Amino acid sequence: MSDKDYISSGIIEQYVLGLCTPEEEAELEQLRKVDAAFNEAIINFEIQFENEMMRYASMPGAATDNKILEQIDSLKPTPVVPISIGKAKIIRYNWLRPVAAAAILVLGTSVVFNYILYSKNKKQQQELVNRNTTPVTLPVADYNILKDPAITPVAMYGVGYHAICRCTMFWDKKTGKVYIMIHHLPKSSSEQDYQLWANVDGKPVSVGIINDVIRDRFIEMSNMPAGATSFIVTLEKAGGTTVPTEDEIYLKGTI
Amino acid sequence: MLLTEQQQYTEPELVTALKKHDNKAYRYLYLHYRGSLFNVITQLVTDTETANDILQDVFVTIWKNIDKYDPGKGRLFTWLHTLTRNTTINSTRAKNFKVHNQNESLTDVVYNIGEKNGLEQQINQIGLRKQVHLLRDDYKNVLELSYYNGFTQEEVAKVLDIPVGTVKTRLRNALIELRKQFV
Repeated sequence: MSDKDYISSGIIEQYVLGLCTPEEEAELEQLRKVDAAFNEAIINFEIQFENEMMRYASMPGAATDNKILEQIDSLKPTPVVPISIGKAKIIRYNWLRPVAAAAILVLGTSVVFNYILYSKNKKQQQELVNRNTTPVTLPVADYNILKDPAITPVAMYGVGYHAICRCTMFWDKKTGKVYIMIHHLPKSSSEQDYQLWANVDGKPVSVGIINDVIRDRFIEMSNMPAGATSFIVTLEKAGGTTVPTEDEIYLKGTI
Repeated sequence: MLLTEQQQYTEPELVTALKKHDNKAYRYLYLHYRGSLFNVITQLVTDTETANDILQDVFVTIWKNIDKYDPGKGRLFTWLHTLTRNTTINSTRAKNFKVHNQNESLTDVVYNIGEKNGLEQQINQIGLRKQVHLLRDDYKNVLELSYYNGFTQEEVAKVLDIPVGTVKTRLRNALIELRKQFV
């Protein structure tokens, strides 16, 4: 199975929804550390799944809100009661007992078979890891941006209800240029544009409109003012505005 | 006033504050995620009072176990979703166990859980489960047992009397089809 086939095999969806076996989960956790494309595919589905679940939000009543918020306000840190998330075994009850005897018999006969499968699986897992250690290649121009020590990377994270948005900005302080890599940002409509702002001495200064049509490559912008300490991206009317709209802040980042 | 969100957080800021047991961050977490997590619960439980109690349990469990959350292994929502689903399944199983005969067979229990919880009503709600029920029967059955009832792949194989490999294949194909329905 090629890397692309493995990514699209349904294993990522299974992993994010918490439906993997402990062995599958361990394999995927290992793989995402060494394969950037695989890791990105997982994050992309996590974002898509989160969006989907947010779409189905249904609110509890006001009484429940008040009750839980009051409890939250009264909570104090206590010694940790460990539970296992994801790997957690769902509690099993006695209704399993009637099948337990049969299961033991099946288990006994399958031990040898499982051992053979396990050995084979370990070998395949190692091959998979070895196959995916090839470095991800970037276009030369983009690679130069990443390796220049004079360039300051700034991670930009989604704000509030746009928590899933993400981009990374690389600021060349010598030239005033910034290079933006969008990881996740909804496409703007034809009537709107994303606008980058720099905070200089507590005042927002427009850096310009982000051309979000360009994906998977760096978006180059100039005019980054010296002395900027933090940055925001807002969604504004097409062409941008002179003052950022506070309710439309999508991303923010700090040096 | 009680429901006002005082502060906006990025995900890393929120995780840092949650790990410090900052009550304001938990208030934000609740206001921001309660809707989607409550929907996860009500897909499995129709009784509103029980669903409300489970939602409360979920947030207390988050408070107690936030140290276990590792951002390197996934986004915050992925962890919250798994925690909510596990808490709900454990809670409904405990309830069914108290009420019903312990000698039911595995298969009976599986198919009775739907009836007892008002499965039809849950399917008719807008949500992931409605999308699951648009899938072909063999995909739908595997997802019902594994995702909504918390059965392991081996248990699903036993109940449906099919090989574990077939469960795996159907589960992955079902999820691929399900994802196609996502916006």
